[in-house]
Amino acid sequence: MSDANLIIFLSTISTGLILGSIFALVAVGVTIVYGSIWMPNAANGQFFVLAALLGWTMTVSWGIHPAIAAILVIGVSVPLSYGLEYILVRRFYDVPNRNISYFVLSLGITQILTGIFAATYGRWSDQFQLPPLVSGITFIGPLPVANNRLMVLALALSILAALFALLRYHRYGRAIRAVFQNRDAAALRGVNVKASYSLSFALGNAVIFAGGILFALAYSFDLTVAWTMSITAFAIMIIGGPGSVLGAVIVGMVFGFTQAAVSTVASPTIAAFSYLGAMLLILLFKPSGLFAR
Amino acid sequence: MTHRKSLLAVLATATLASAGIGHAQEKPPVKIGFVTELTGAWSFFGTSCVAGLKMAEKTLNPPGKRKIEFVIADDQTSPAQAVAASRSLDVQDKVLALSGPTSSDTGLAVYGYAEQNKVPFVVPVAAFPQLTKPGTRYTFRLEPDAVGWGYAISKFVEKQKPGGKIAMIYSDYALMRAITAGIKYQAPRSGLKIVADIAFPQGSNDATVQAAQILAATPDFVMVSGAGGFDNTITNQLLDLGIKPEQIIHPFGITTQVMNWGKRSVGSYYGTFFDSNLDSLTPEGKTFVEEFTAQYDRPPSYGENFCYVTANVIREVIDANPEAADDREKFRDAMSALKTKEKTSGIPIEFDKNGARMEYMYFLQMKEVTAKTYKAKQAFYIEWDPEVIPVYTLVK
Amino acid sequence: MTPVTEKKDLSLLAKGHGLPLACFAVVAFATPFLLSGNRYFAFVAGVTMIHILWASGMNLLYGYTGLMPLMFAGLAGISAYTVVGLTASGWSFWLALPVGALAASISGIILGLPSLRLKGFYFTLCSLVIQTVVTLGFIYFSGLTNGDTGISQIPLPSMGGGQPLSGLAYDLVLSAAAVIGVIVLIVIVKSTLGRRLIAIREDDELAGMLGINVTGYKMIAFFIGSLFAGVGGALYAPYIGFISPRSFDVLISMNIWLMVAFGGRGTIWGPVIGAILLAPLSFLLQEYYTVKDILYGLLIIAVIVLMPAGIAGGFLRKKKESAPPLDVPATPRGAK
Repeated sequence: MSDANLIIFLSTISTGLILGSIFALVAVGVTIVYGSIWMPNAANGQFFVLAALLGWTMTVSWGIHPAIAAILVIGVSVPLSYGLEYILVRRFYDVPNRNISYFVLSLGITQILTGIFAATYGRWSDQFQLPPLVSGITFIGPLPVANNRLMVLALALSILAALFALLRYHRYGRAIRAVFQNRDAAALRGVNVKASYSLSFALGNAVIFAGGILFALAYSFDLTVAWTMSITAFAIMIIGGPGSVLGAVIVGMVFGFTQAAVSTVASPTIAAFSYLGAMLLILLFKPSGLFAR
Repeated sequence: MTHRKSLLAVLATATLASAGIGHAQEKPPVKIGFVTELTGAWSFFGTSCVAGLKMAEKTLNPPGKRKIEFVIADDQTSPAQAVAASRSLDVQDKVLALSGPTSSDTGLAVYGYAEQNKVPFVVPVAAFPQLTKPGTRYTFRLEPDAVGWGYAISKFVEKQKPGGKIAMIYSDYALMRAITAGIKYQAPRSGLKIVADIAFPQGSNDATVQAAQILAATPDFVMVSGAGGFDNTITNQLLDLGIKPEQIIHPFGITTQVMNWGKRSVGSYYGTFFDSNLDSLTPEGKTFVEEFTAQYDRPPSYGENFCYVTANVIREVIDANPEAADDREKFRDAMSALKTKEKTSGIPIEFDKNGARMEYMYFLQMKEVTAKTYKAKQAFYIEWDPEVIPVYTLVK
Repeated sequence: MTPVTEKKDLSLLAKGHGLPLACFAVVAFATPFLLSGNRYFAFVAGVTMIHILWASGMNLLYGYTGLMPLMFAGLAGISAYTVVGLTASGWSFWLALPVGALAASISGIILGLPSLRLKGFYFTLCSLVIQTVVTLGFIYFSGLTNGDTGISQIPLPSMGGGQPLSGLAYDLVLSAAAVIGVIVLIVIVKSTLGRRLIAIREDDELAGMLGINVTGYKMIAFFIGSLFAGVGGALYAPYIGFISPRSFDVLISMNIWLMVAFGGRGTIWGPVIGAILLAPLSFLLQEYYTVKDILYGLLIIAVIVLMPAGIAGGFLRKKKESAPPLDVPATPRGAK
């Protein structure tokens, strides 16, 4: 393999890993919310961009160190989630088949946030770029990779691992799963269903925010990323199986690699078509997804 | 229906200042409809343009002259809204002419309305060639067309490295398609070879692999043109992989973009039509740069300049042809016959039969980027006839 | 007999439309004359007429059949691009219009196929993906659509005698289209077809067990609903004079849906009122551009949270203790 081809090959892998882990994070956030309260949150892309924009304001305008900004941004998501849950989300807990009501609700939130972003951040939409967490470059074979990107990758993977452990082994994670499978039975077994709902909503959104701020640390972005991210996260959730964290992680990584690989052999546009197509096929023939619980 | 905010203040001041002077003041002001992007994807350009216009308005209405009033309307970067706003300005506000759009999409929408309804239309910053396609009668464009930029880039590379290899990496927008169409046409004629051609769909986020493909193609120059923030992503990833700044050409550099590319990009080239670093700035151009920088904390770029110049061109046409102030056909004829210079840089302004301008382009090399400004050096200048290459058939 | 005939409020809804229809027709045809002194307001009224037609089509699918197709604007776009393409190659607009509308209908049937397997949220999500693919397609196949640059200077249709159909005449055509659209919807709702669609909306499994051809009727609903989208799209293109992929994107679908849901789905007049209230909004709010998206979003949330049956639904059902939930009955997790 020539040096140039080796660079293409290695960059496909590194891109697949970074994009895949960020996709996986957001999809996990979406699937936690859907898996617990049946809310397909179409506004996830706007939450993602909100996190990135807050990070931009904190670092570029206020001069806060990116690492501290990242923690603050994720912290902001908690009161935001609880507020939304209190005002809007909890009204639907007892509505039958509430997922479509939630879906439309989240489309409404999408439009509001789009309007707010356009009015407030729109005029800077060509300059969203955060300072790096760490500087320097590491060579992986012939391929130079920014240390900042490697750091983002490491953080994304550790958050994913922590989440996985939390949901699989911790009491809270077991409670969420119990509520999703059978809410009434879980309530009988002493699970506080409402509390588990609001906690899941907050946790899911915090993960989406983490994805947003990590993305902003690795890439410059603009407001159009929101819609792309929404669709991508939904595609991952549907293919992986709604509510399945493992599915979201695996399919998210596959998507990252697909985007990198398909755009190498075909074109970036074909890559976008390819996972929309994959989502349609899964929806039609196996709507419960590949990793249904 | 539209905004008149600070215009009122300007008018009030002008009226006070000129009270009792000259009878010209008795005529109602000449209204120009300014449909531009105050919100939406392209708002960073629309708001910059309005900033340039505001600078021009400070001196636009001296006592004794017929007042010119710009009625600003937002098109939300949406062509349908642009048409609606044009209609509102035409019918409700009875404007003499339209102007303002800074994106090709909204520009084409207003163009359709203007040509159909015989409203003169002065395009400050929109580069899609079809805005002046053959048969155009009411539209006049200040910015050179984007296919021509591709021509100019090829000529620049031909001069820098005869027989060189060009790679292209860009977002798939109308503007970029036009630029690359120009390069694809002219490069072989200039003896250049295109070694990579990579387009990204809108809303893309990563370019590492594509940057590696560019690297593998070993080009002498890379034309980079991402949309919005994605431009930085592509640029940084190319630099990360070891493409030298001196190999990178951005087809257009607006101030915020130049600042965004930052110190890493020092040495790279960008095309432009006006820059605070030009050698040819006139005294008025220097004042414009100074005052703009003082007010907005950054130097103006070509977008601000074209909107500034648009206001002055309209002033000049109305001063020279007072009867054109109330008659669209006469205004159109006066625009068509106009021979003048940009007050800021001295570049000639002259329109051909389709309303396209004798075109030109500067290429600058970035020398230094500081917190609020940057230094660049002129590396190449070229002028050409708009139809030196078949621009109107290369993109539809 | 389907079980629906026993639901008195629904069959009542289908009766006695004579008077409101007459009023609507008078208003629709009078408006262009009343506003003829001001081309701008006449234009806003014309766009509103197109939206009334679209809202009625969306109403047939969402209000009466219980499917929420977010690719509705995409279907209108397919028709608009077809018509513009055909007229550019020399066809008469009046020949191209039925072809474009038919193209939208056939696409509607094909893109509506997932509704046979998916319900509720799953179908809506699927339609959202389809809309996204259609929008990407409009951008990608720039040879046919001119990409995101769009097509400008679309010529006006010609009337008899080679005169372009402009101003008042075009406005009247749009009024006629809106009135005919509403009449067609009334006729459908009153017919057996309408009752069967409502039965499918209420419970399609039960409807199937009662011998209703659910597949067939859903396809018919998609055919007719898409026809509304297509006729509206064909009339929209020359009226605005410009189309681009963004003229027919998911936000437009959402806005048409909002007109139906806000006005009151499953009623004839609710969506008409919704369109009359909401379609001019984006033009009249031009001065308050920053709040427009936010206002639309708040309206969507208000409809979902406070009045799932919309204005008309809330009015007609005020005697009932509570409005029905917004969503359609579906099996758990939405899929069969």
